[in-house]
Amino acid sequence: MNKLTKFFGGLAAVRDVSFEVRRGQIFGFIGPNGAGKTTLFSMIAGAQKPTSGQIICRGKDVTGLRSFRLIHEGIARTHQVVRPFRNMTVLENVEVGAYFGRQGADHKSVPEKAMEILRSVGLQDYADTPAYVLSVGNHKKLEVARALATGPEILLCDEICGGLTHAETAAMLELLRQIRDRGVTILYVEHDVKAITAICDRILVLNYGQKLAEDTPEQVQLDPAVIEAYLGVAPKGWDNA
Amino acid sequence: MKSRSLRWQFLLPAILLAGLLVLPEVGLSPNALRLLFVSFVWIIASLAWNLLGGYAGQVSFGFAVFNGIGAYVAAMLIDNGRLHPYLAFLAAGVAAAIASVLIGLPTFRLRGPYFAIATIGVSEAIRVVATNVDFTGGASGYRITESRQFNQLEHYYCAMFVAAVAVATTYLISRHKFGLGLMAINQDEDAAADSGVNPFAYKLKAHAIAAFFTGIAGGLFARYAAYIHPNGVFGFHNSVQILLMPVIGGLGTVWGPVLGGVVVGVIEEEIVAYFPQAHLLIYGGLLIIIVLFEPGGIVGGLRRLARWIRRVLERGPGTPAADTPSEQADEVLWGTGSGPGR
Repeated sequence: MNKLTKFFGGLAAVRDVSFEVRRGQIFGFIGPNGAGKTTLFSMIAGAQKPTSGQIICRGKDVTGLRSFRLIHEGIARTHQVVRPFRNMTVLENVEVGAYFGRQGADHKSVPEKAMEILRSVGLQDYADTPAYVLSVGNHKKLEVARALATGPEILLCDEICGGLTHAETAAMLELLRQIRDRGVTILYVEHDVKAITAICDRILVLNYGQKLAEDTPEQVQLDPAVIEAYLGVAPKGWDNA
Repeated sequence: MKSRSLRWQFLLPAILLAGLLVLPEVGLSPNALRLLFVSFVWIIASLAWNLLGGYAGQVSFGFAVFNGIGAYVAAMLIDNGRLHPYLAFLAAGVAAAIASVLIGLPTFRLRGPYFAIATIGVSEAIRVVATNVDFTGGASGYRITESRQFNQLEHYYCAMFVAAVAVATTYLISRHKFGLGLMAINQDEDAAADSGVNPFAYKLKAHAIAAFFTGIAGGLFARYAAYIHPNGVFGFHNSVQILLMPVIGGLGTVWGPVLGGVVVGVIEEEIVAYFPQAHLLIYGGLLIIIVLFEPGGIVGGLRRLARWIRRVLERGPGTPAADTPSEQADEVLWGTGSGPGR
């Protein structure tokens, strides 16, 4: 990613943010409300075009490509507010990803492949259920499954743990680790600092649309600028007290 | 269990087809033949609209355009024996498909109700143009003179063949990648794009296939009637009727539009003959009943009935019926998309 800027009218939601993600990393974005996480994310996901700047994926410029083209570049996303194909079965939802994904697939292998992915996220028992009856936790899993079915190299996860219980969050983070271990790079936006520091290899901190810090989770948490953005300035004499 | 239902799936249509093939030989009155012919033509248009409106969820009020274009292209090519009628039908379909792409390019940038309204505008504009140019015969219409003798049976078989092809096409689409993509667009266009479906291209393709069949339906009708006029074939009532059939029969299913086509064909031919204008009242009433009580149309109602019967049979003495989630799978919601008929 290079000098990504997005203006809404005169307001710069994201300004000159540059970073690099290595293959096989889980790369997190955090930042206070309104910091520009979602805008940055949707530019990468092809939902919004950047005003300026470039997004380079594996040496290829993918800036401003529509999302169905990004799928063929190996970039798939999940949604913060889940968007299943409600009246289709869970299996059919994943089949869409498998049919229209990067490798493409023939009529015979698709149901098999989709079923395999359902097993990997633990939704195999719901294969024939219509998607809309699923619980929040299972909806989030379905989002991951559908994206995985497209055969991505980069998986964009938007607040995938939002609204989940502690146990569900732990399970989801474990799932993301497994996906990473299969060689998929993950870009991860999350509100929940605990979740993101637990899993990410590197974290980018945004504030007022600008890059505040980029480092390992441990280092980021110690960064004074980050602490200030989240907690405000420490009052004088705080350290001594 | 599964294989048995699968066998019926092919056996029933085969029996139906065979029945329709031999029926005229057994002896049918010209009136009954005409009723069936008209039903076939409506079924073709109904199945076509269902591809775009039922599967992809794009509600168009503009299918009269394809009906009209098909009717006129076929009429002008058949007139005075310029071209063999069957080739003329093919040309009618192709012309309508080309028109559908031209109409789709701007209108598919719109969504939901805005798309529907745009299709009304386009189709009315084309109707007005067609009534005011010379080569359509203007408001007084266009008469087709054919050298060969009128053969009702040929019309019957020809329409039946195209209707059968339309059923087969719908069936194949609903069971393959293309149909799955259309259903995904129906449910959530953005999520479909995020899963790799190109919504714009898919809608254009579905529109073109639908227009192709609707154009042929228009051509079949024109040749049978031997007289067409712009306010008839391009009329808004055609668009509404084409849309109503799949809604009545069951959106996003293979057999719903067929049943809807039969219902409309019968209403049109039998009831209108005795009570002109009554069909509007009947359509209005049917539509209200369906939207209120059975958004799945006739097919949805039949499925519900079948479930109820199965439950009563399975229940036996003393065991309460359980509501399984799969039962809800068939519920079809008007507006949020149709229950996929897979």
